[in-house]
Amino acid sequence: MKRLLLALVLVVWPAVAGADEVPVPPPPGRWATDTAGFLSPSALQAADATLEAYERSTGNQVLVWVGASTGDTPLEDWTVKAFERWKVGRAGLDNGLVVFVFAADRRVRIEVGYGLEDEVPDAVASRILGDDILPRIRAGDPDGAVLAGIAAIQSAISGTLRDAGSPSPSVDAPRDGGRRSGRESSPFQDLLTMVVGGILAIGFLILLITNPSLALYILFSILSSGGGGRGGGGGWSGGGGRSGGGGASGSW
Amino acid sequence: MSKWILGGIVVVALIAAMSGVGTYNALVALDQGVQAQWAQVENVYQRRADLIPNLVETVKGAAAFETDTFTAVTEARSKVGQINAGDLANNPEAFARFQQAQDGLSSALSRLMVVVEKYPDLKATQNFRDLQAQLEGTENRIAVERKRFNETAQAFNTKRMSFPTVIIAGFFGSRFNEKPYFKAQAGAERAPAVRF
Repeated sequence: MKRLLLALVLVVWPAVAGADEVPVPPPPGRWATDTAGFLSPSALQAADATLEAYERSTGNQVLVWVGASTGDTPLEDWTVKAFERWKVGRAGLDNGLVVFVFAADRRVRIEVGYGLEDEVPDAVASRILGDDILPRIRAGDPDGAVLAGIAAIQSAISGTLRDAGSPSPSVDAPRDGGRRSGRESSPFQDLLTMVVGGILAIGFLILLITNPSLALYILFSILSSGGGGRGGGGGWSGGGGRSGGGGASGSW
Repeated sequence: MSKWILGGIVVVALIAAMSGVGTYNALVALDQGVQAQWAQVENVYQRRADLIPNLVETVKGAAAFETDTFTAVTEARSKVGQINAGDLANNPEAFARFQQAQDGLSSALSRLMVVVEKYPDLKATQNFRDLQAQLEGTENRIAVERKRFNETAQAFNTKRMSFPTVIIAGFFGSRFNEKPYFKAQAGAERAPAVRF
């Protein structure tokens, strides 16, 4: 029996230990979250309160999330996945931004949602990292780094970041607004739709005469599909989550 | 009695027509998803192409002797520009050419960034650092949008190849061709890292 168990362990062990994957956690409840003990409780509280008030007044969802490591997953893959899973930003607007800090990896990434790319282009995100966040972390002041980073991001979004205008704006290619391009349907398709629609309409009329209750039931079940929503708890609630991988990364 | 048979035939025909229409519409929706994602891929590649003139100018100012590298980048960029990016998502050969040209530009760019290593003064300028941040960001966007394209293409292909959709899709000829995928560049897991 013991041998069997040992064999089982030997078989299962590599599968468990082999892949050093750190799965993306479920959405954090608060605006600022520290899972690695990187920030002092008071700084975490201050950051959270600032970001909560910021979302209430501007609608922009800025989050801070501190973890230990992304494991084997490249930083940028991990953060874009987390952004998507947490649905940061409002639905349709994607006006979210997350500052990810990985304490054990000694890396920081600012992940920008589609909706804030114009306000926080890559060069600005990179400057915030290089000027406000990384030097303070290097100097042993993670609390100050995160709080200064938040302040810089807020002023970047509101357009008051000092010398934000100096990088030639034409360089940052504007994001194409019409990224969901339409497609015309061919006349053949239109005809097909009409023919099929006609057949369906006639069929439905026949059914309505021969068996009204079934017809009404089918009509009802077609109409009632769709809908649904999601509720929010005490913390932030998202709905966006689309980030094209914009932002910047840095390490200390 | 005949009334019941007629009713039965109508119901069967109705169900068949509905499932056919449903399948067709599902394919159209997935196809639209692929088209939209393809537009995103083109978008981020265009963004990179737009960055290049400025980048080359900036580097040229400080490293005028590296003409070979500049020529390589410029040539690779014009090759990319020559590819008429129309309905590439439905044309595997043109798609492969597109990917090859873009990968060529990627490697020309990473060689340029290696050359820059020799010029610490250039690396220290704010203008170059901004450009570098934009290039890094754009390469990351390309990686993200390519991955998403592959996901939407896979969703389409899975639906298209599964039974009974494969029969219905066959009626429409090349309208619902299988979608090609982006393949990782040989020897590169991600887009070339431009880190210093």
